[in-house]
Amino acid sequence: MPLFDGLGSGGEKTAIVIDLGAAYTKCGFAGETGPRFIIPSEIRKPGQQQATKVVQYNINTEELYVILKEFIHILYFRHLLVNPRDRRVVIIESILCPSHFRETLTKVFFKQFEVPSVLFAPSHLMAIMTLGINSALVMDCGHTETLVLPVYECTPILPAWEALPLGGKAIHKELDGLLVEQCTVDTDTTTGQSVPAVIGTIPEETVEDIKVRTCFVSDLQRGLKIQEAKFNLDGTAERPAPPPDVDYPLDGEKILHVKGSIRDSVMEILFEQDNEEKSVASLILDALVKCPIDTRKVLSENLVVIGGTAMLPGFLHRLLAEIRLLVEKPKYSDVLASKSFRIHAPPAKPSCTAWLGGAIFGALQDILGSRSVSRDYYNQTGRIPDWCCLSSPPPESLYEAGKTPPPLMKRAFSTEK
Amino acid sequence: MASLLQPDRVVYLVRGEKRIRAPLSQLYFCRYCSELRSLECVSHEVDSHYCPSCLENMPSAEAKLKKNRCANCFDCPCCMHTLSTRATNIPAPLPDDPTKTAMKKAYYLACGFCRWTSRDVGMADKSVASGGWQEPENPHTQRINKLIEYYQQLAHREKQERDRKKLARRRQCMPLAFSEKYGLGTRLQKQRSGAPISSLAGLSLKEGEDQKEISIEPAQALDEVEPLPEDCYTRPISLPEVTTLRQRLLQPDFQPAGASQLHPRHKHLLMKRSLRCRKCEHNLSKPEFNPTSIKFKIQLVAVSYIPEVRIMSIPNLRYMKESQVLLTLTNPVENITHVTLGACEEEDPDDINSTAKVIVPTKELVLAGKDAAAEYDELAEPQDFQDDPDVVAFRKSNKIGFFIKVIPQKEEDADVTVSFKIRHDFRNLAAPIRPSEEAGDVAAEAIWLVHHVELRLGPLAP
Repeated sequence: MPLFDGLGSGGEKTAIVIDLGAAYTKCGFAGETGPRFIIPSEIRKPGQQQATKVVQYNINTEELYVILKEFIHILYFRHLLVNPRDRRVVIIESILCPSHFRETLTKVFFKQFEVPSVLFAPSHLMAIMTLGINSALVMDCGHTETLVLPVYECTPILPAWEALPLGGKAIHKELDGLLVEQCTVDTDTTTGQSVPAVIGTIPEETVEDIKVRTCFVSDLQRGLKIQEAKFNLDGTAERPAPPPDVDYPLDGEKILHVKGSIRDSVMEILFEQDNEEKSVASLILDALVKCPIDTRKVLSENLVVIGGTAMLPGFLHRLLAEIRLLVEKPKYSDVLASKSFRIHAPPAKPSCTAWLGGAIFGALQDILGSRSVSRDYYNQTGRIPDWCCLSSPPPESLYEAGKTPPPLMKRAFSTEK
Repeated sequence: MASLLQPDRVVYLVRGEKRIRAPLSQLYFCRYCSELRSLECVSHEVDSHYCPSCLENMPSAEAKLKKNRCANCFDCPCCMHTLSTRATNIPAPLPDDPTKTAMKKAYYLACGFCRWTSRDVGMADKSVASGGWQEPENPHTQRINKLIEYYQQLAHREKQERDRKKLARRRQCMPLAFSEKYGLGTRLQKQRSGAPISSLAGLSLKEGEDQKEISIEPAQALDEVEPLPEDCYTRPISLPEVTTLRQRLLQPDFQPAGASQLHPRHKHLLMKRSLRCRKCEHNLSKPEFNPTSIKFKIQLVAVSYIPEVRIMSIPNLRYMKESQVLLTLTNPVENITHVTLGACEEEDPDDINSTAKVIVPTKELVLAGKDAAAEYDELAEPQDFQDDPDVVAFRKSNKIGFFIKVIPQKEEDADVTVSFKIRHDFRNLAAPIRPSEEAGDVAAEAIWLVHHVELRLGPLAP
C-alpha cells in the first residue's frame, strides 16, 4: 500500500503542517484548504485536574521534552493518523520563539518520531503566501502577544518588528477581573451573590467562552467615549448606554450575570494607549516608521491581520479607524507621508491564515526538501540552524562548501538530484 | 498485589536511550534483541483505520481519500455525540396528481443527547438513509488551488536554477534560512535562451513551461472593513444561538458564529497502532486487522517472557533492623527457568533509588515451567525440587515464594526502596512460530539476561 500512496502523490507523501500556537494548535496536511484540527495546546495527564500547557518557555528542557513528546504523539496518532516517519514536517513558528523551545521541539521530531525533515516557517511570512503578494505589513494577534512584522519582497524586515503583550491572554485577565469585581451569580436558593463567594475563581475556559460569545469591539467613537468615562474619575464624562446584560449559565444551577458594560468595554485594553503611547494600532504605525522610506507606501496599503484575537467581532474595523486617527497625530504625520491604509482579506479565517500559508508552502515538493533541515543534517550537527545564529550555516551551503554528497537519507527523501 | 492495583511497586529498568523504570506489565520484550523495551523506545506506527462508531474497517488509501472520516457516521456539531438517522413519513404530492398527497419516507439526522436535528439548520430531508449527506465545501478552494499552482511553478524554477548552479559548480548566494527568494522568477525570465542550461534541462520541458505560464492575480486590499451591525449595541443576545468556541473550532474551515450554521461532520476515524523495535525493526506488537477483535497477531509483552517479581507480604520495617519480605517469582515460559538474584554492587549507576540494604538468597532458584493444564490436573505429581526451606517459602506450579532480608538505611518518611539484579536464562525461540517438537531438538541456546528490579516497600513502621 505505501508504494501506491507514493506514486499517487508524485513520489513523496504530502507533508504535515503544524502551527503550534500558545492557545490552540492547528494541524493538517499540506495542499489542503484548511487545517484538519484546531485543538487546545495542552495535554491532560491521568489524575491531574489541570491541563498542562504545551507552549511554555520557562521550564527546563527535559520537562518540555516530555510534554511536547506527549502532545505530538496525540497529534499524530489521534488526529492526523499517519506514520511520522513517512512525512516531512512544516512548523509554523513565531520569530520570537526562544531557541531552546524550537531546539527541544526539533529534538522531539527527529529523535522521538524520526521524521525525515523539519522546516521552521515564520508565521508572518507564511501569511502573505495566502494572498499571492510579495510585500505586506503583517500583524499577528495571538494569545500571548501582538507582533507586527513587515515583509517586503518576501523578505521580513526584522529590525522593524514591534510587539506588545496584548492578546487573548491579556483580554482574559482583564475580563476575569471585571467579572469577579462587578458581576453577580444566581444559584437555586440565592440571588445576587458575588462571584468569589459562590464559585471562587472562574476557569479560564469559561472566561474564554464568555469573551467569544458575548464580547465585541466597539467602534471608534464609542470606544473613545468608553475610555474617556473610564479614566475620568470625577464622573463628568458620560458613558454611552451599555448593551444589554447577558445571563451566562455556569452549570446546571448557577447563572452568571454578565454586565453589558463589560461586554463592550473589555476589549478597550487593546486600544488604550499606555504610558509610552502604545496600543495595538500604534504598533503598525511604529513598525512603518522603522521601515525604509521607499517601502512604506506599499506596506501601508497591504495590511494583513492574522491570529485568533483578530476574529473578535468589530476588531478589524476598529483597528483601521484607530490607525487612521493616530496617523493624523503629529508624531506620525510628520514622518509618514502616505495616509492610505488598506487591509487584505485572506482566503481563510484569521486564526488559520498562517497555517494555510504553511500548507501552500508544504505543497511545493520541488523545494521543500532543500529548504528543510533533514534528519541527517540534524544528526550530524545536533542542532537546528536559527535565523539569528550565524555560526551554523544553512544545510545546503554546508554540503556545497565541503563538496560532500548529501547523505543517503537526504537523497532518498529529497527530490533534488 | 503489586501488579493489578499497585503496578508501580515493582519496576524494571529499561536501558534504552533514556533509562526508564516501569512495571513489567507495561513493558515489551524484543526477543530478537533480547532486551526490554518501553513505549518510549519503540517506534509507533499506524496500522489500520476504523470508525469508532460503526466499527467498520477502512483501508488506508481510502481513509486518506476521505480525509480520515467515516462515510456513514456523523458527529453532532453541538455536543459531539454520534448522530443517528431518523426515519419519518412526510406528505409529498403525488407526481401524477399534485392535488393529492401520499406519505413518503424521509430521513434526517438527529442527536439523541442534545436533541439537535439536521432540520434545525435547514438541511433538507433525504430520501435515502445513508450517503446523501454532504459537508459544505470551503468557498476559497479554487483560489487556494490556484495559489498552489502558481507557487509550484515558482518552486520549479527555483529548483531548475539550483540544479543549474550545481552543475556550474558555482557558489550559491544563500538567503537566510527563512527568507524567500521568490523574486527570482523575473530574473530567470531574462535568461538568454542559448544558455547551457537549456540543453541540459531538456528543451521540451522549457518550452512547455513557457507556454503554460501561470500568472496569478495578487489579492486586492480593501479600503474599508464592514463595521459591526448597528443593533449590536442594543439587541439582547440569546446564548444558545451563539456557538461556543469548541463548536467553532470543530469546523476549522468555517468557524461559524451562529448555531444555525452548524453542519454535521463525518465522524473521525481512529486507528490501531503497531509497535516496532527501533534497533532491529521487528514488530513488537501488531493488532489484528478486524476492528472488533481485541487480539494481536504479534504481541511481545514482557510479562510473557520475563519472570515477574511480586511482593507478597511486607512485615513492619524498622530503621536499621533486618526484616524478611516475602516475594513471589513467576515463570511465564514453558521450560524450567533458573534464576539467581544479586545485590547491586557499590557505585552501580542504575542503583540510585535504594534506601535500604538488601540480602538476597545466594542459591540459584529454579522455577518450574508454566503448564496451563496443571491447575486443573489434581493428580499431577508435585515436582521434586530440593528447596532450602530458609529461602523458598512455598512452591506452586510455576511460582515460588521466597524471602529477602531488608535493612532500611534511611530514617526519613519516604518509602523504603530496595533494588537488586535478577539474572535468568532465556531460551530464544527465534522463529516466531515453530512446531514444538522441532524446537525440542534444535534446543534453542540459553542466554542469560540480567534485569535491574526495584521494589517500593512502603514507609517504615511507626
